[in-house]
Amino acid sequence: MPASITHASLNKEKHVKYWLRCLKTYLPNAYTSNEAQRMSLAFFILSALDILGALHTKTTASERAGYANWILRCQHPDGGFRGFTGTMTGDENRNEWDAANLAATYFACASLAVLGDGMERVRRRECLEWVRRLQRANGSFGEGIGKEGVVEGAEDMRFCYVAAVTRWFLRRGEDMEKVEDIDVEGLVKWIEASVTYEGGIAQGPFHEAHAGYTYSGVGALMVLGKLPRRTSDSKDEGRMSAEFVESVTKWLVLRQTLMLHEEDELPMADEEPPDTTLESFPPTFHVQGAFPVSVADAILPNGLIEMSPHDLQWAGFNGRCNKVADTCYAFWVGGTLGMLNREHLQDFNAIRHYLLDKAQHMIGGFGKLPGDVPDILHSNLGLAALAIMHDPDLKSIDPTLCISLSAKENFEKSFPSQQARGNLHGSNTAKSMH
Amino acid sequence: MGKYSDSDEWVDVVPIPQDDGGPNPLAAIAYTEEYSEAMSYLRAAMAKNEKSDRALKLTEEIIRMNPAHYTVWLYRADMLFSLQKDLLEELEWLNTVALKHTKNFQIWHHRQVVMSHIPTLPPRETAFLALMFAKDAKNYHVWSYRQWLVRHFSLWDSELPYIESLLQIDVRNNSAWNHRWFVVFARHTDSKKHSIKNGDADSDVPLEIIEREVEYTKAAISTAPQNQSPWNYLRGVLRKKGIGLVELKGFAEQYADLEKEDEVRSSHALDFLADVYAAEEHKERSGKALELLARRYDPIRKNYWDYRRSLLALDQVSA
Repeated sequence: MPASITHASLNKEKHVKYWLRCLKTYLPNAYTSNEAQRMSLAFFILSALDILGALHTKTTASERAGYANWILRCQHPDGGFRGFTGTMTGDENRNEWDAANLAATYFACASLAVLGDGMERVRRRECLEWVRRLQRANGSFGEGIGKEGVVEGAEDMRFCYVAAVTRWFLRRGEDMEKVEDIDVEGLVKWIEASVTYEGGIAQGPFHEAHAGYTYSGVGALMVLGKLPRRTSDSKDEGRMSAEFVESVTKWLVLRQTLMLHEEDELPMADEEPPDTTLESFPPTFHVQGAFPVSVADAILPNGLIEMSPHDLQWAGFNGRCNKVADTCYAFWVGGTLGMLNREHLQDFNAIRHYLLDKAQHMIGGFGKLPGDVPDILHSNLGLAALAIMHDPDLKSIDPTLCISLSAKENFEKSFPSQQARGNLHGSNTAKSMH
Repeated sequence: MGKYSDSDEWVDVVPIPQDDGGPNPLAAIAYTEEYSEAMSYLRAAMAKNEKSDRALKLTEEIIRMNPAHYTVWLYRADMLFSLQKDLLEELEWLNTVALKHTKNFQIWHHRQVVMSHIPTLPPRETAFLALMFAKDAKNYHVWSYRQWLVRHFSLWDSELPYIESLLQIDVRNNSAWNHRWFVVFARHTDSKKHSIKNGDADSDVPLEIIEREVEYTKAAISTAPQNQSPWNYLRGVLRKKGIGLVELKGFAEQYADLEKEDEVRSSHALDFLADVYAAEEHKERSGKALELLARRYDPIRKNYWDYRRSLLALDQVSA
């Protein structure tokens, strides 16, 4: 076995360099298509440096104050945050297309917490009222308010997560806890309706179970205090059932996979994609049981579904059944298991080796797939996944908020909450594993 | 010098440059001059809430470079409807954007907004979705949109044969399996009400539908026993009618016989049988299936199978 395999390790210095480059120099032009999510890029950059323990040593206090000022510059006068400065047309010509965005609002709050800036300058009441207006009658959330108060955006589990976590950040202290609340019960019902027959959670009811949406759904339940206290509990106080925890756990661990490349995924290696043009709609035959035998099975005679120890060294996570591994799912899956206190059900060694041998890039950061160049999202989530596994080179993180425990604790010290007390502590989560 | 500043069409407009604030902006991007200029004119158009053909074209330019700009889509939709533009032309244009930016979700939400203003299903719509699936048969946004389309135009009857044609091409396409679930079980569910988990038992589902689904799924498993999708589907279908897994014990044992542990053909069959034996109170057999998973047939999940084995409390029984 080559030494590099047994000694896979985080190249911490390179990662710090990568993130400082992202922080202090212009991002490449290719990020233009992500411009509207600059606030999320900002969060990933700040949080990665924090997890690496470099945010407060490699930046000055005045730089950090400048970063907080930029975030607050994106705050909308009527509550919430914009994702970028590109829609702002100056105080004298405010325009209706310059709107706050729910995801950006979560990333802004989390970034301020990471910077240790607190929420003093956040218009908390306006923001909480705006979040409440984003909720639909069916319990789901939109991403912004459009003309005549219409809730805009898809029905999307991610918006539920960012709404619930924004509420967790801002609904603190006597004054704020008096602000009219969102419909928590309606939200929980909508999440429950989005649990699929596979056991994971989808974008919305009847859609396909997906690790990103499962992280979002379980994360929302976590901050709302709606996961069962113990796995032996039946459903109580509007909490999810212990059975839900078991089935989502199984779906999550099933995401760990040896399929690391697209070609592993193809059912028939020698087949061209179907010849489908705009003029020819696929035939509508309905023959029960007439399936072609796929090559993948043909090359697996009876009894040969065992994997060799060599293959087992690298196992990533996919986001959906029968898909290839992708770096970000190491966090979406591992983080969700972490919320349930079940991160140890992963194969730690195999996922560590996948991240460090296959996805870690020599210039620092992580790529989406083995050999890919690093990008901000995957580089952050690769680190976060390692932190969930208690990597000694990284700070511990809170799996639900995706920020370091130290950032979370500092925030909670400055903004104690009556209601939120206990919501994010182990006493509230499934503990039967220990 | 620039495309817009040099153009007679925009001569009356004063562009509004981006103001990124103080000295420490976060995630600042090295924009092209082309993009910076177009955005400055977009800001000017938005500030006046201009509704015009030139502004519509400008939004196309921006979307081509930055399809995730969340309010440019709203601005564009507002113009389309107030200028009473041809919505079928809008769909044709959206096709080109969707083919270029396959991972963007705003494109599909916009398509849904536009389509909800069109009274009948445009003839080319399903063909375009087939083209998207030919590029990526598991594109999440396209499947989500397709669910909406099926509900909106009540396309239920033609959907099952289509799904089967996709599963013929790739029996491991989990998105197609999920869509099958939607087509079979969502038809009579009110999309406005989501009071139960869609996997929960529902006594209203006719038994013949359940039987049809079980037979179809068994046939799919027989061609590729180590395919997780139909095993998950099978469990879901049985649960929907409150039928125990025990009913399919014989079927699963074809792929995993505990007496012939060298010849297991499906780890999912072993997992299925572990549950069957546990339900039958055959804890030792259930434990044996889980042990085979942990040691031989699915060792990546050793920790999980060991945990499941611990839940059987086998040691306490023998102690």
